[in-house]
Amino acid sequence: MRASFVSSEVVNGLRRNVSMTIAMILTTAVSLTLLGGGLIVVRKVDQAQESLRNAADVVVYMNENVSANDPECANDPCAGLRSELEQASGVQSVQYLNRQAIFDRATEEFSNQPQLQELVRPKALPAALWVELGDNVTPQAVKKQFEGRAGIGSINDQSQFVRNMVNKLNDVRDGTFLIAALQAFAALLLISNTIQLSAFNRRTETGIMRLVGASRWYTQLPFLLEAMVSGIIGSVAATGLLMVLKEAFLDGLMKPLTNANLLTAVSYADVAFVAPILVLVASAISGLTGYLTLRLYVRI
Amino acid sequence: MIRLEHVSKTYKTLARPALDDVSVSVDKGEFVFLIGPSGSGKSTFLQLLLREEVPTRGRVIVADWNVAKLPRRRVPKLRQRVGCVFQDFRLLNNKTVFGNVAFALEVIGKPRHTIRKVVPEVLQLVGLDGKADRMPVELSGGEQQRVAIARAFVNRPLVLMCDEPTGNLDPDTSQDIMLLLERINRTGTTLVMATHDHSIVDSMRRRVVELSHGQVIRDDARGVYGVGR
Repeated sequence: MRASFVSSEVVNGLRRNVSMTIAMILTTAVSLTLLGGGLIVVRKVDQAQESLRNAADVVVYMNENVSANDPECANDPCAGLRSELEQASGVQSVQYLNRQAIFDRATEEFSNQPQLQELVRPKALPAALWVELGDNVTPQAVKKQFEGRAGIGSINDQSQFVRNMVNKLNDVRDGTFLIAALQAFAALLLISNTIQLSAFNRRTETGIMRLVGASRWYTQLPFLLEAMVSGIIGSVAATGLLMVLKEAFLDGLMKPLTNANLLTAVSYADVAFVAPILVLVASAISGLTGYLTLRLYVRI
Repeated sequence: MIRLEHVSKTYKTLARPALDDVSVSVDKGEFVFLIGPSGSGKSTFLQLLLREEVPTRGRVIVADWNVAKLPRRRVPKLRQRVGCVFQDFRLLNNKTVFGNVAFALEVIGKPRHTIRKVVPEVLQLVGLDGKADRMPVELSGGEQQRVAIARAFVNRPLVLMCDEPTGNLDPDTSQDIMLLLERINRTGTTLVMATHDHSIVDSMRRRVVELSHGQVIRDDARGVYGVGR
């Protein structure tokens, strides 16, 4: 097989169909940008789940009386509750945070939001027992067991919050993937159309190739490569678009979430992580679409 | 070299068969004119030899290959052994004369040094030496047909099939093309030529196979176009 011949055929094919090629590259780029966005969301959700898994599963907020008068959790009802929680089945650890400790923690968490820091006062915050659970017990069971007991103001099921947030992020991911799938479908049709158009434009060449005994593979390869080259250019453009989107929109949009330590910011490492996946997906989809189009619709 | 044994070909869209129980044998190195009115089955005959079509019944043998039974992946090998020339030349207008002829070798993966050696030789054979760098539009009809013949012959096929090769040419140019085809035939290449050109068939006095309504109605060793001429 002559590589120079095949590559010159590919370049000629792309040049002849320049408007269709550009349309194909753009559509592929947009769909791959959405796919890349979805993949980044998945990565962020995984990271968030990992980081939130380390946080308390249940927070038992003490009432005003305990918060104000028992900074060491040395007396009942706080000491009794702590002891009972420590002995409860499935509880891995219990940590008491008094008002000052809670305030310090909040100050650290809101370090990027000075206005919020100014509003928070230690006296406004309740002391709390931070409870980390094992796998064999649900936060709801602990909540049910201790709710309404003396000394407790409220019980916060942290895992519920994590679940809600993960669900929302999963919704964002699903929505992104859905739009990406629709775009990908449009890209597939465009790839198929472009190959058919390209084959039609070069029907004299392919007719001659067939008659002089070129193998089917040799005849089809330039068309396949054209589709794959367009797909790969589209994936590189998608990587560029992701970088631009990160700088122009995502960093700003995600700032509240990253400031609250709920999500880590999208980094160039995240984009670099999805870029090779996009290239692989683009090559595979465009190659496969090209192959099927040539087999089903084009007589070569 | 070529053998058709009780070959019939029916198309779904046609009421009668394009070829109906045709049996013809062509020896190596023979020159055969295939004549008959439009729709008599000449093109189908040629398409069967190239495996562009497969027979509905019967066997088609070309160079010891049973064409209809040939696996799809082997068809290119058959076509490398059977060259073809058409009335409309089918040249690539974006390539030079050299490029057009070289194309036939490039697409079957011949190395560049072979192409550089063989293409000028065949251009000389067809009388186009010195015109290798011309574009097809700069050539006369006769010269364009010479390029097409060079392209069909450059891989030294065993059989050269010509479908109305003089159909677009004036009588003098047609004569030149026929001289060229005769020269190629003298190299041992079997030549099958479908034509409507009375004068050429009559002047060359070669074997004539006449088709009518898909059947062979005449097979003369040294025939003319019309019976009784």
